[in-house]
Amino acid sequence: MCGCGYVHCSCLTEVFPYPEIGNEELEEINQLVAPVEKFFNEEVDSAKIDHEAKIPAETLNGLKELGLFGIMIPEEFGGLGLSNTMYARLAEIISLDGSIAVTLAAHQAIGLKGILIAGSEAQKQKYLPKLASGEHIAAFCLTEPGSGSDAASIQTRATLSEDRKHFLLNGTKIWISNGGFADIMTVFARTEVTVDGVKKDKISAFIVERAFGGITSGKPEDKLGIRGSNTCEVSFDNAPVPVENVLGEIGGGFKIAMNILNSGRFSMGSSSAGMIKKLIELTSEYAATRKQFNKSLSEFGMIQEKFAVMALNAFVMESMAYLTAGMMDRPGLADSSVEAAMVKVFSSEGGWICVSEALQVLGGLGYTKNYPYERYVRDCRILPIFEGTNEILRMYIALTGMQYAGKVLTAQIKEMKKGNIGLALGMMGKKLKSSFGVSVDLGLIGKDGVVHPSLAESAKKLEQNVSLFGSTVESLLYRFGKTIVDEQLILKRVADLVINLYAMTAVLSRASRSISIGLRNHDYEVLLANTFCAEAFFKNNYKMTQLQKHSPENNDANMKKIAKALLENRAYICSHPLERTY
Amino acid sequence: MTCPRCLLQLQTLGLLGRSAARCVGLLRTPSSGQPSEPQVLRHFHPSPGSAKSRSVPAEFDRESHKKRNKSLITHDDLFEQVAQEAKTKAMFNKVVDIFTKRDIRRRGHVEFIYAALRKMPEFGVERDLTVYNKLLDVFPKEVFVPRNFIQRMFNHYPRQQECAVQLLEQMENYGIMPNMTTKVLLVQIFGEKSHPMRKYQRIMYWFPKFKHINPFPIPQKLPEDPVDLARFCLNRIANDLDAKVTVYQMACTEVTESGEEVTLPYIVGIQSPSQMELLTKHNPSRPVFVEGPFPLWLRKKCVYYYILRADPPLPNEKVEEPYDPERCLDYPLQLDFDLGRDLGDDESFDVEDLDEGPVFAICMTNQGDEATLNQWISGLQQSNPVLGQVPTLFRLDAGPQELDMLADIKSCHNHRPESELLKEDWLPEEEPEVMGDEELRRSQRMK
Repeated sequence: MCGCGYVHCSCLTEVFPYPEIGNEELEEINQLVAPVEKFFNEEVDSAKIDHEAKIPAETLNGLKELGLFGIMIPEEFGGLGLSNTMYARLAEIISLDGSIAVTLAAHQAIGLKGILIAGSEAQKQKYLPKLASGEHIAAFCLTEPGSGSDAASIQTRATLSEDRKHFLLNGTKIWISNGGFADIMTVFARTEVTVDGVKKDKISAFIVERAFGGITSGKPEDKLGIRGSNTCEVSFDNAPVPVENVLGEIGGGFKIAMNILNSGRFSMGSSSAGMIKKLIELTSEYAATRKQFNKSLSEFGMIQEKFAVMALNAFVMESMAYLTAGMMDRPGLADSSVEAAMVKVFSSEGGWICVSEALQVLGGLGYTKNYPYERYVRDCRILPIFEGTNEILRMYIALTGMQYAGKVLTAQIKEMKKGNIGLALGMMGKKLKSSFGVSVDLGLIGKDGVVHPSLAESAKKLEQNVSLFGSTVESLLYRFGKTIVDEQLILKRVADLVINLYAMTAVLSRASRSISIGLRNHDYEVLLANTFCAEAFFKNNYKMTQLQKHSPENNDANMKKIAKALLENRAYICSHPLERTY
Repeated sequence: MTCPRCLLQLQTLGLLGRSAARCVGLLRTPSSGQPSEPQVLRHFHPSPGSAKSRSVPAEFDRESHKKRNKSLITHDDLFEQVAQEAKTKAMFNKVVDIFTKRDIRRRGHVEFIYAALRKMPEFGVERDLTVYNKLLDVFPKEVFVPRNFIQRMFNHYPRQQECAVQLLEQMENYGIMPNMTTKVLLVQIFGEKSHPMRKYQRIMYWFPKFKHINPFPIPQKLPEDPVDLARFCLNRIANDLDAKVTVYQMACTEVTESGEEVTLPYIVGIQSPSQMELLTKHNPSRPVFVEGPFPLWLRKKCVYYYILRADPPLPNEKVEEPYDPERCLDYPLQLDFDLGRDLGDDESFDVEDLDEGPVFAICMTNQGDEATLNQWISGLQQSNPVLGQVPTLFRLDAGPQELDMLADIKSCHNHRPESELLKEDWLPEEEPEVMGDEELRRSQRMK
């Protein structure tokens, strides 16, 4: 997709063909999955966990025995040493219970990730084995009352003691998953560093053991969903941390935090997909047996549509998640954080839609606590919020792309602004061409095309979208330049477009592979892929039309005005419809 | 569509009427002097009906004329007599009742209503709809309703109609909206298509539209307590929900050791968090100024306020916060390439951080001398420690007392010192006595 002048998604060679794992690995993962699935189906009582807001000790022990506390910890440290792809596969099953999924994710996707990424050999030797076995549980302490994404407002401070052997940690962290019982915590705090002779405050990361003392946990928060997971405040009062427990180097905490956050997100796609697949099983059972007017529910079009939506979403999420995981598993340090963010945004929102549709199929029954749907709805609501809210992630997705495109296009746009007629004419020609539907050939279809011919229509749509998107981005950069950072409504659309394009690419790649190797029901995959691409094509075109317009026309200005009036008054300001003036 | 047609019709009618009136007037002048009738009313032409009613025996006419003359005096007298007792709504109503019960024919009701309208502000009922309705009720019912198309076409009972229009106009000037009762009364008295009815319809068309036209309405009754008033004014000026009003000192009288009585003025100030932030960012080597007094008019009341401000920062002083790439954990706060905005205007506008310099705080006091304002500054200093290091200069104009006097003098000349600027409220509200020529002309134009 390099041709579009806006590279996000990685080049063609990275997404085509769809990543595969070896036969041995596949066998290994299947062997692993079976007992985990059995455990979740038989031993885990999600309703009880939700009701009592606690995961029972025997359940936790079962998880530990299965090795689920050390999925990605290398085997030399006692973990399972699985790849990202295999982790994603396990996450599908773990997500059947939201509380357990969050507890495990807080432990290994972010809690101990710091040690894996930036820990020294000694630190790994010391902490990882116990973490892998589940003897110790990890937590990730970054958020503070006054600081979400804003690192500058982190107040927790680490000061070097006089003997220069300890740091003393002071401050409060909030919304710490596993904060109530975690033994090992990755804590981020402000430290004083001298850069070029100037003293400066920089963020550093520390491995803090509860045993160091000076650490208190608050009362567990009473949450809407994922009630079984433990979330609470953690305060540090002169907690002594030995200097050898600094993660990475002093002042290097920001990068570590960013890396941990970025790497923790990709599994949400497969988690959501796993959940939806389970919900499809549950609800289709009901739809097939429930009769109204001598017809079963499954014969009604509107019910059928709900199932189609669920299937489409699950299919797209799976495709995106495993494509991303596969890319992350490739040797070399390819940065897939944007892709991971896209997976997270798409799957958290899709998951929310599907869960609510599943509940809708059951109607009133779904609303009761007799069925698990209401719990799924509650649990699911956290997905768009944690691990970076979707709003923030959209900014990240759009701006990362804009940064890249800006670097590539600056010179060209500057020439155009100077009035280089030749260049302008060339651009116009390109635009004319694309307006007649002649799109740039990305090499997706044709003789050497990477997409299977039965998906040619969809691939063409993708190509058309991509080429139009390229010129849209260019015109956005022309109009806003650097100040596009402040145009959030535009960035939101850009992010949505990129997500859709990535999703289209993922389903095309996956379905092509399925046809080529003759997977079971690959015709169904083709159907799903074509349906999704057609839908996304229309959405994309609509969004791009909006992007090409100026704000008064695409309603952005109105939306801002509407919000502004409310926010100024901090209330809904319309007169009541029953109000009268005479 | 119908509106211009009506106007046109009215105009032609008016022309016709005026010429007719002139004729009738000529005919009538010797017999009926009508000395006290306002001249402006002449432009209504008398209807044939009224002309007919006039053709009564001269003797009778004279008597009635005498009586009316007498009654005219008594109307004003009646109010004045009562006024000596008490000027209340009840009294006013009593007078109206007395008049309505005195004579079943309600003789001289037009004059009575004019007199009553004049006296309304005196009795403090000028904003009371029920009183207006009661006054309208004084008109005899159904007598003035035109019965055929000729009557309808010409001005039927012009003086009565004119009087009712005048009443509605006074309501309008005080911003009183007529209600259903008013409408029913008007229909009963003058019929569906009379001038007062038209006036009523016009009022009902415009009033609701203008009722909430002022986004910053001033209550009809301002707070009596000066501190409450100051609080209200400060909130009005600052218009920031986060701004906090602080009473630095309540007004009180103290007796010093030497036995002197010292009156301490009240000091009320307002400051918003963003203003505090601006103040902390202020360069301490440059002075801040206390300026004032500035007038603020609330209806007919003028209050004064003082501001704490600074000169705008010099262009080289404006330091932009350096971009910290390690600020946001999730996305880049700035992009790293060199492309500006195209044709995009800088639409950002900060209410407090203006080109003429930031305003840090506002206060109100009843004694605008330096000592009092200094107290305000020291009060501010508690929440804004930076004020301790910043030199504070006082740039005070003549105190409000002098200004007050000035305003008094002016008001003697003009009656309305606030002039047009102060018509902040949605409706003008002049005293009917001072209604100038302009008003009359306007009311004529409307008819």
